[in-house]
Amino acid sequence: MTVAKLFRHETILAILTVIAMIVLASLSDKFFTLDNLLNQGRLMAEVGLISLAMTFVIVTGGIDLSVGSILGLTAILLGVFWHNVGLPLPAAILLAMVCGTFAGWVNGLIITRFSVPPLIATLATLALYRGLAEGISEARSVRGYPEWFFFFGQGEVLGVPFQLWVMGIATLIAAAILGLTPFGRATYAIGANEVAARFSGIRVDATKLWIYTASGFCAALAAVIFVSRVTTTRSDMGTGLELDAITAVVLGGTSIFGGRGTIIGTALGLILIQALKNGLALSGVKGDGTIVVIGLVLIGAILVGALFDRNRGG
Amino acid sequence: MRTEQIGDATASGAALPIELRAISKAFAGIKVVSNVSFDMRPGEVHALMGENGAGKSTLIKIMAGLYQPDEGQIIVNGAVVRFPSPKVAHAAGIATVHQELLLFPELTVAENIFLGQTPKTSLGTIDWTTMRRRARELLDELDSGDLDIDQKVLHLSVGNRQRIEIARALAQDARVLIMDEPTAALAEHDVQRLMSIVRSLRRRGVAIVYVSHRMPEIFALADRVTVLRDGHLVATRPISEVDEPGLVSMMVGRSIDRLYPPKQGTDGEVILELSGVSHRSVVRDIAFKLRRGEILGLAGLVGSGRTETALTIFGITPATQGQILIDGKPVSITSPEAARDLGIAYVPEDRASQGLIRPQTIEENIALANLKRLTRGVFVDAAKVAAEARNAISRFGIRARGPEQPVRQLSGGNQQKVVLGKWLATNPRILIMDEPTRGIDVGAKAEIHLLMRKLAGEGMAILMISSELPEVLGMSDRVLVMNGGRIVGEFDKEHATAEAVGTVMTRSYDKEQAA
Repeated sequence: MTVAKLFRHETILAILTVIAMIVLASLSDKFFTLDNLLNQGRLMAEVGLISLAMTFVIVTGGIDLSVGSILGLTAILLGVFWHNVGLPLPAAILLAMVCGTFAGWVNGLIITRFSVPPLIATLATLALYRGLAEGISEARSVRGYPEWFFFFGQGEVLGVPFQLWVMGIATLIAAAILGLTPFGRATYAIGANEVAARFSGIRVDATKLWIYTASGFCAALAAVIFVSRVTTTRSDMGTGLELDAITAVVLGGTSIFGGRGTIIGTALGLILIQALKNGLALSGVKGDGTIVVIGLVLIGAILVGALFDRNRGG
Repeated sequence: MRTEQIGDATASGAALPIELRAISKAFAGIKVVSNVSFDMRPGEVHALMGENGAGKSTLIKIMAGLYQPDEGQIIVNGAVVRFPSPKVAHAAGIATVHQELLLFPELTVAENIFLGQTPKTSLGTIDWTTMRRRARELLDELDSGDLDIDQKVLHLSVGNRQRIEIARALAQDARVLIMDEPTAALAEHDVQRLMSIVRSLRRRGVAIVYVSHRMPEIFALADRVTVLRDGHLVATRPISEVDEPGLVSMMVGRSIDRLYPPKQGTDGEVILELSGVSHRSVVRDIAFKLRRGEILGLAGLVGSGRTETALTIFGITPATQGQILIDGKPVSITSPEAARDLGIAYVPEDRASQGLIRPQTIEENIALANLKRLTRGVFVDAAKVAAEARNAISRFGIRARGPEQPVRQLSGGNQQKVVLGKWLATNPRILIMDEPTRGIDVGAKAEIHLLMRKLAGEGMAILMISSELPEVLGMSDRVLVMNGGRIVGEFDKEHATAEAVGTVMTRSYDKEQAA
């Protein structure tokens, strides 16, 4: 895959993002301020972390619908381990994250060991994990976390929100893994032709298991940041987050059939969506209108991508 | 030769079901068919031959109305016609049986035969009675009365699906039937059946354009043969005037003295040994030894367990019983990566689905089996990958723009060389080649045979599976024959004759197994 080809969709997306920024800045003078942009970055980080892992999942030709529920479950466990079980908070955080990661590993196990299609496996665990979260929480929320805990979701390092650092580093790592390592090569190969990948000595099942586990881990990490940002734990946290993540990944040019996609694309997709949400809101567009615009942008981006694909084929 | 043939066609007059005169067709400025004339007589089988890229597919697509020629005329029954769409070509009596069969799996046999031309009752609803009766009749005519017309096509074999496509063409009252590589995906007994169907169609006066690489079929069926090379007509001749070496040299434009490279003596030490290896009930109690520098042919019918044996050695379907020894030491092969690390390479039978990742580039494909070696630190070394790919391109003469060309754009022969390149880059000692030249043109086939012999000469142990008996006999130093999941015969090169191997391949062992 040449660099030119790789970046074609991403270039269009980057141009689109810049145009959107300019238009939004002209609509509202509050949009293009450093404070607002950094704040938007803060809001973007949770979906962002999940989208990074989701890119790997979708590049293999799979899907993970359970990430929102894993986030909810991790958040609840964090609260329960600390508040009800009485563990020290750092231990509660770690243990909750281990549980969230484990939930992702279970997804991977169901998909690889029992050959269940990812859509069905994670649709089932979407319900399962959300149900567990609600059962464990008994519809009570947990509050009163100590002050230091809010650093993850509200603190700043060198003037930049903490979670934006996390997100930035995670993006670099994910881009390096997908683009430059044997693991990334295996990921693309599995998505493009799983049988040929297996026949080439690629460890298909192990690779997928790692990816779904990483997806669980990212959702768990997002859960900690989420709880810290909103200072409360509730069982309905993260509902519908999977769709936001999938939207960003697909807008970023990753093929839903697998085999194609980049982390840069996903990052651009995320930024474009967040800019539209925020900019339109600031310009006085109601919530429903924003969703319509995002839907239209998604369709437009995919049509343009399909157009390029046709020219490329043959 | 050409003037003669055109003279012939005009003499036989207006009754020709189709005639092409001086057809040319270019894509993006490149002429793929240039000034080709071709005609069909009623009730003849006319073989159309040529290497991949010679222009066969373009020519039959022009006849089928899929492409419009840039120059030249199409004449049907003496009148100049145009085929702006496949529908118009159908109406003119021209039907195609495609290489990849275009049937609807969820519909029944009868529905598939009459799709788009369903008999109607006076009320305008489907006339099921007539449809089923006509479907029955058509299949009976094709000696396929055993097909259940109410069965869904989904579970039918390739051979049966092909008969349905032929019935569909007959239902359209086709006068010209274009068959594109009709036997490429068929098992041996289906090939025999297809040949008898072709003969019966010829008796009914249908003209059959028969595109195939397989010489035995051409000589058994064809009345005339037309050879194309690089988009040009080489010649059209009655089959009685040509022989196999003659046809090959017409296709490749040079004479190939020997179809197969000469064999060398082999008495290297045993590298691979199987004893009592089984996988479920498809591979049973297999025992053989493979030596350095030897090409061991594995013959048998489709489904006899040859590929399954290879998959067991390669770790895709690990052995459930028995022992595999490499250099005399027992090994456990439970995955393809384990097999690769033991120096086993497997070039699979199905390039498109098992051998290659077709949307990816040559270098990505070649790197895939060698990622460990091509990695520096934690990152894939892009320079090493490119060097490896360029090396393979020059070593195997892969015709490509460069390492970054997607493999789906390459011809079959070049794709096969990429698969070989990928596996030879792993430095294997044991090379398993499953149908090494399937769907490859004559020139590339000879190159691959030469390469196999050269590798064996350098000490590689090669296990070759092939459904083409001439290939097995021509290439192998020793031949094993499989039947019903077992090895049922072994021949050294002196005793491996077509009759001897063929007999053991096709014998029914049911009685012995029951006893």
